[in-house]
Amino acid sequence: MFKRSSLALVVVAAVFLSAAPLYSQSANLIAAGKKEGKVVVYGSLESDTADSAFAGFKKKTGIDVEYWRASATKVMDRGLSEYRAGKPLFDVILTNDNPMQIMVKEGLFAKYDSPAAKEFTKESIDPNLGPRYRNVVIGVVYNKDVIKPADAPKSLEDLVKPQYRGKLVMPDPTQHTTTTQWVASLDKLMGKEKAERFIRDLAAQKPILVESLLPASERVVTGETPIAITYVKYVLTYAQKGAPLDYVRLGKFMGDGHYLGLDNKAPHGNAAKAFIDYFLGAENMTALAKLGEFVNRKGIYPPLPDADKIQFVEMYDLDSKKFAEKKKEYQQIFLH
Amino acid sequence: MSADERALAAEPPLTTAWSRSRLGVFLSQPVSWVFLVVGGIIAFLSLYPTFFLFYGSLTDAPLGVPGHFTLQNYVRAYSDPEAYPLLLNSFIFGLGASGLSIVFALALAWITIRTNAPFRRLFELTAIIPNILPPILVSISWVMLLNPSNGLINGLFVKFFGMEKGPFNIYSMPGLIFVESLILTPLAFLIVAAALKSMDPSLEESAKTLGSNEFGVMCRVTFPLIRPAILAAGTLNFVRAVESFDTPAIIALPARIEVFTTKIWREALGSFPTNHNLAAAYGVGILAVALVFVYLYRHFTSQVESFSTVTGKGFRPHQIDLGPWRYTASGVALLLLILLVVLPLLVLLLVSLLPYYHVPTWQTWQRLTLDHFRYVWATPRVHKAFVNSLFLALVGATACMILASLASYITVRTKIAARGVIEGLVFIPWAFPGTAMALGLLWAYVDFPIPIYATIWIILIAYITRFLPYGLRAVTSTIIQVHKELEEASVVCGAGFLATFRRVLMPMMRPGVMAGWIILVTIFLREFSATLFLYSPGSEPLGPLLYFLYLDGMRGRVAAIGLVISLISVILIAIAQRYSRWESH
Repeated sequence: MFKRSSLALVVVAAVFLSAAPLYSQSANLIAAGKKEGKVVVYGSLESDTADSAFAGFKKKTGIDVEYWRASATKVMDRGLSEYRAGKPLFDVILTNDNPMQIMVKEGLFAKYDSPAAKEFTKESIDPNLGPRYRNVVIGVVYNKDVIKPADAPKSLEDLVKPQYRGKLVMPDPTQHTTTTQWVASLDKLMGKEKAERFIRDLAAQKPILVESLLPASERVVTGETPIAITYVKYVLTYAQKGAPLDYVRLGKFMGDGHYLGLDNKAPHGNAAKAFIDYFLGAENMTALAKLGEFVNRKGIYPPLPDADKIQFVEMYDLDSKKFAEKKKEYQQIFLH
Repeated sequence: MSADERALAAEPPLTTAWSRSRLGVFLSQPVSWVFLVVGGIIAFLSLYPTFFLFYGSLTDAPLGVPGHFTLQNYVRAYSDPEAYPLLLNSFIFGLGASGLSIVFALALAWITIRTNAPFRRLFELTAIIPNILPPILVSISWVMLLNPSNGLINGLFVKFFGMEKGPFNIYSMPGLIFVESLILTPLAFLIVAAALKSMDPSLEESAKTLGSNEFGVMCRVTFPLIRPAILAAGTLNFVRAVESFDTPAIIALPARIEVFTTKIWREALGSFPTNHNLAAAYGVGILAVALVFVYLYRHFTSQVESFSTVTGKGFRPHQIDLGPWRYTASGVALLLLILLVVLPLLVLLLVSLLPYYHVPTWQTWQRLTLDHFRYVWATPRVHKAFVNSLFLALVGATACMILASLASYITVRTKIAARGVIEGLVFIPWAFPGTAMALGLLWAYVDFPIPIYATIWIILIAYITRFLPYGLRAVTSTIIQVHKELEEASVVCGAGFLATFRRVLMPMMRPGVMAGWIILVTIFLREFSATLFLYSPGSEPLGPLLYFLYLDGMRGRVAAIGLVISLISVILIAIAQRYSRWESH
C-alpha cells in the first residue's frame, strides 16, 4: 500500500517537476504578453480555422489577436515590404512552405524552439521553422450522387480512362501555382516516365480548367462536373453541410506543408511566443483537426474516414525560374 | 561700364519683367489657385505611388532591394509573339462588352428618364444594383444559370422543350462578352442617365415640329447630343473590360479562351513569387492604351460648345409620350432588369438560404436555412466591416467628387495651358492592375512622414487615387453640356469664382456629380483588389471580408452579406437620386 502510494507520489512529483519549467515559461510569457496587449498575425489561414484558434488563445491567455489575412503570396509580399522598409508591424506569419522558405532566406524570422514542438512527428520538423503544423492534402474528390462509389476511379491512373472523359475538373496548372507544383511533383508518386505519360493523357481528357482548388470542388458539389482534383479536406467541410462527397483512397497523397514563424523584430515578442506555444499545443491542434485539417501533432487526425491511412508526400519547392518553365510546358500540353 | 549700362544691368530684363507680370496676373485669379491646389493634390496622389511602379518596371530587383537598371521587363512583356493574338482577343472582348453595355444602358436610360413608360422610377432605382454586387458573384450566378452541363436555364429548356441539350453555353466568347456587359451596364447607365437628365428637350421638340418621329428624334438628336457621355462610358468600360480578370478567370478559362489579363496573371501577378517588375511593365502598356483613349475622348468632345444644351433659357422637364408603346418600353426595361438584377439576385438569394449551393431539387426546400443571415447578424467582425466600409464609401466618394468637380471644371472650362495634364494624371493610377497599384501605394506610404500606413486613411487615399477617373468622367460629361453663358452672367453680376462655382455650376452639374457619387459609393462598398494589400487588422472593410469568405468556400455567407449591402446601397442611391433630379433644381 505504502509502496504504491509513494510510487504515485514520485510519478506526480516527477511530472510536476518536469512540467514546472514549461509552466513557468508559459506563465511568464503570457504575463509579459498581456503587458504588450496583443499579437499581430499575418497569414493565409482560412477564416473559420483562424477564428477558432484566435478565440481559444484569447480565452486561455486574455491576449487579443489581430489578424491580417491574404493569399500566401500576398502575405509574403507585405511581410517582406514592411521588413525591408524597417517597419514590420506583424509578430507572427502563418503560411505555406514555399513563401516561408523565401522569408527565411531574407532573414525575416527569429528562431524559436517552442516547447510544444516535441509533440510533432520528427519528419515534420524544419530546422529553421520548427514544426510543419499541418499538411494540405490534394487528392481526387467525387460526387456520390452522380458517380456511384463502385464506378468511381480507384487511382490517379484511372482518371485517364475513357469513361471519365469530360467529367473531370481541375485548377489550370498554367495559372494556379499549387497545381503547377502538384503536376510537377507527380514523379514522386509514379516515377518520371510514367508521370510524363500520365500528364499528357490527363490533358488529352480535356478536363474543365478553373482558377483554383475551391472552384474545382464547388463544381463537384453542384454536380456540374462530378470528379475533381482538389483538397481532400473539402470532403469533410462540405459533408458537414450535407453535400454527398467522397475521396479516392490513393494511399500516397501529395500536398503542401504549413508553418508559422516569429518575426525577428516582433513588436509584441512575448505575446507572439505565447501564441506560437498555444497554436502548436494539443488543444488548438485538436480543434483544427475537427475542422478537417491534417495536423502533424502525433495521434491527432481529422474525422474523415481512413484519414489515419493517408501517407503524405510533400511536393517539390519550385523557384521562380522553375515555375515559369513548368507553366510554359503545361501551356503547351493543356491548352494547345 | 557706362552709367547707362549700369542702369540697364540694374533693371530686370524685359522678358523677366513680362514673365513676372504674367505670373502676377495668373496668381491674382482665384481659379489659378484652385488649379495649383487641385493639380498639386492630383499630381501627388497619382505620381507618388506610380513613381515606385515605373521604377519597378525598370529594375531587376523587388521594390526595396537595390537593383540594376534594365529594359528586360519590357522586352519580356512585349516581345512574346503569343501576346498579340491575346491582345486581339482582349480587344474583341473589350469592344464587345463595352459596346453591348452601352446599348443596354442607352435603352434603359432613355426609357426610364425620357419616356412615360410605367414603373420607370422603379427601373431607374434598380438598374444600379448590379454595380453593388462583386463582379465575381455576378459571373458565378451566370455560370449557375447558363453552364452547358446543369445550368438552371438550360435545364428549363431541356425539361419544357424536350431538347437533348440546353441551347446556351456560357463558356464561349459570346458568353464572356454577355456577362461582362451586364457587369458594366450600371456604370454606363449612370453616366448616360445623368446626361439625359441635363438635356434641354427644346431641340427634340424642334425636330418633332419639323416632322421627325420619336425614333428619328432619338437617333438624330437625343443620342448625338449626349455623345460625350456615351464616349465617356464607352472609354471607361472598354478599359475596365480589358483589364478585368474575374470574369475571364471564371468563364474564359473553362472555355480555353485566353485574354491578355490571363497572360499577365500567369507570368506576373499569379506567378510565384509575384513578379511585380513585370506586372509594372504590363501596367505601363495598359496605361499607354488608356491614355490613347483619353486623348481620343478629348478629341471627340473638343467642340464642347456643340454639346452645350443646358443654357440660361429656362426649360422644364419634358417626357416623351409613347402612347400605347409605353408598355412595350416597360417590357424592354423589365427584360433588361431581369438579366441585370433579378436573375443574379435570385441566385444570390437561393445561395444565401442553402447550407451549400447545389442545383435545386424538391428536397432543397427542406434544407433552406437562415444560418448565413444569423452569421451576419451575430458576428462582430461583420459589423465592424460594415462600419468601416460605410465610412470609406461616404467620406471617400464625397471627397472624390469634390476633387473631380474642381478638376473637371479646370479641364473643361479654363484655358490654363497645363489643364490637359490633370486629366492624364488622373488616369495614370487607374491604368495599373489593382494589385500592382496597391503595392505601389504600400511602398509609397509605408515610410511616409505622416503615419497613415496601417490606418483606414491609407485605404481612403487609395480609393481616391484609383477611382478618381470614374468621378471625373461622370461630372465632365455633364459640365460639357452646361453653356458658358450662365457663368458669364454670374461673373457680370459681380460673383467671384467660388460663388459662381457653388451657386451656378454645382447645381447644374448635380446630376453628373450625384451619378459619380453613386458609382463611387457602390464601388467603395465592395472594393477589394487594392484594399487587400492595404487594410490592417482592425480596419477590415467589407471587400476583403467578402473575398476571404469566398476563398474559404462560404458562398452562403457571401450571398447574405451581398444582399445586405444591396439593401443599404439601394437606400443610399434612393437618397442620392432625390438630389440629382432636375426637378429639384
